[in-house]
Amino acid sequence: MIVEAKSLHKRFHDVVAVESLDLAVERGSCYGLVGPNGAGKTTTMRMIYCLNRPTSGTLSVFGLDVLKEPRRIKARLGVVPQDNNLDPDLSTCRNLEVYARYFGINRADAGSRCHDLLDFMQLRDRADSPMPALSGGMKRRLVIARALVNNPELLILDEPTTGLDPQVRHLIWDRLLDLKEQGVTLMLTTHYMEEAQKLCDRVLVMDHARAVAEGSPTELIREHVSPYVLELRADRSLNAHITSRFGHMEFQSSGQNLYFYGGSPDEFDDLLAAYPQTERLLRPSSLEDVFLKLTGRELRL
Amino acid sequence: MSQGLLSVTSAFSRVWLRNAQVYLTLWKFNVFPALAEPILFIFVFGIGIGSYIDQMEGVPYLEFVAPGILGIAAIMQATFECTYGSYFRMRMQNTFEGIISTPVSAAEVGMAEITWGATRGLVTSTLVLVILAFFGVFHNPSVLLLPVITFLAAFNFAAIAIIVTSRIAQMEYFHFYFAGFVLPAQFLCGTFFPISRFPEPVQVIAWIIPLTSFVDIMRSLTLARITPSLIPETVWALGSTIILAELAVRSMQHRLVE
Ligand SMILES: Nc1ncnc2c1ncn2[C@@H]1O[C@H](COP(=O)(O)OP(=O)(O)OP(=O)(O)O)[C@@H](O)[C@H]1O
Ligand SMILES: [Mg+2]
Repeated sequence: MIVEAKSLHKRFHDVVAVESLDLAVERGSCYGLVGPNGAGKTTTMRMIYCLNRPTSGTLSVFGLDVLKEPRRIKARLGVVPQDNNLDPDLSTCRNLEVYARYFGINRADAGSRCHDLLDFMQLRDRADSPMPALSGGMKRRLVIARALVNNPELLILDEPTTGLDPQVRHLIWDRLLDLKEQGVTLMLTTHYMEEAQKLCDRVLVMDHARAVAEGSPTELIREHVSPYVLELRADRSLNAHITSRFGHMEFQSSGQNLYFYGGSPDEFDDLLAAYPQTERLLRPSSLEDVFLKLTGRELRL
Repeated sequence: MSQGLLSVTSAFSRVWLRNAQVYLTLWKFNVFPALAEPILFIFVFGIGIGSYIDQMEGVPYLEFVAPGILGIAAIMQATFECTYGSYFRMRMQNTFEGIISTPVSAAEVGMAEITWGATRGLVTSTLVLVILAFFGVFHNPSVLLLPVITFLAAFNFAAIAIIVTSRIAQMEYFHFYFAGFVLPAQFLCGTFFPISRFPEPVQVIAWIIPLTSFVDIMRSLTLARITPSLIPETVWALGSTIILAELAVRSMQHRLVE
């Protein structure tokens, strides 16, 4: 196991950020952490890259204890933090070179590595740009490039694609899959269930500092939700009418939306026939449905 | 994980290099403004007020204040760098967070910042030294040792600044630090007149502030006067520097790795 946590706890003064967490990440796999805002994903990641110290429990990375060997662990991993922390005083290329120096990589190797990485993340034309001149997507790609300067065995990505346009997101997905193919282990957090479904071999759903489910995306869908979902959109009184008539079916409501769950598409036939005017969408269920079922539809404040 | 100065490896120099690299690209903005205050001091105290003072401790006034002006130049530059400069890198730019996600440790970041602050203090005070030399205040070869002392004085104050920077919750607390400590230290520490002028309790406070020892050591070098008090002064100058650096490095670890 590349990362292994046993009954991991993290408390900040009186806030419990992570509680009784167990997880194991296999070499060469992509492991996803999902959960509502404040669930404890970033804290978990930061404990893995040794920026937060566990309050109790054990956490080992590459078989090394995070409390005892942070330097050896950090030498072998790459970090893409939730908030970009590029060095604004340095240009694109210098950012990579200076970062390579923190790893003790010599100047010549750093130069060629930076070149390759700028190509890999399609930033070649921006090599000499000052930081403030880069767009959000360019900065994000640069942070990913920077995380790769030391050829990490484990790449940690905290919301790598939040706030990016679809083109950049697809580029990043492609690159992450390339890296996985090369044998790099990936750990990522995301709020996009599509992303987790596409990239991750296993997904851990966290809520209120605890793990609430774990498994491959298909396992999670099979175990936690029915295979099909019918989404209906109607006003409040119609909603009440529908739920009083079809309350025997499995459903959830959220605002003006109703979600009915079923084992096959024809289970919804009566319902669809009864309300032909209503806006509707019948689709196979996804990780998003699992997420909403496990963590509820209310907002986290 | 080991703590404090003993855990610091040469990796700290990588962060020092980063700061030096940024500084060199902007050197014009950094060098000249830093010289404004020391030059003003030379004119106002050395030449302006100095023309009304015949001699102090047996030498022309400018010769007496020269070590004070050098000491102030060193500590002020180090203090600015390790308060606003370090705070900005730590809080506004999150640069330190990026650095400690690599094999470089938080203790090494602390050490690098202190050493960098001391380096800037050395650069500024050495330029002031050259300017003072043009006024003909130095007569002894022992003045060649002055940069060693200004570097140590700057290092000492850089460490104090890092202790403050790594502990405050918002930048406004620097106002208290400057008004309550840095500004008084500039005038209390035997810089412009001998501290024997103060009442006893104030003298004790002045001797606790390491700048007093540094200035007195420098004055011994410029005037080539060797006195027995140099021994305790040197012990305190070096001892307090090590203690403060240890506290600063630990404080930085505490701040950066929760
Ligand atoms: N340095 C800190 N000091 C105090 N509390 C903290 C600190 N870091 C995190 N927390 C708290 O720990 C909890 C978990 O935060 P964390 O950032 O890990 O959540 P997250 O799952 O990453 O959320 P998001 O999706 O919004 O990024 C939150 O209640 C947060 O307020
Ligand atoms: Mg987070």
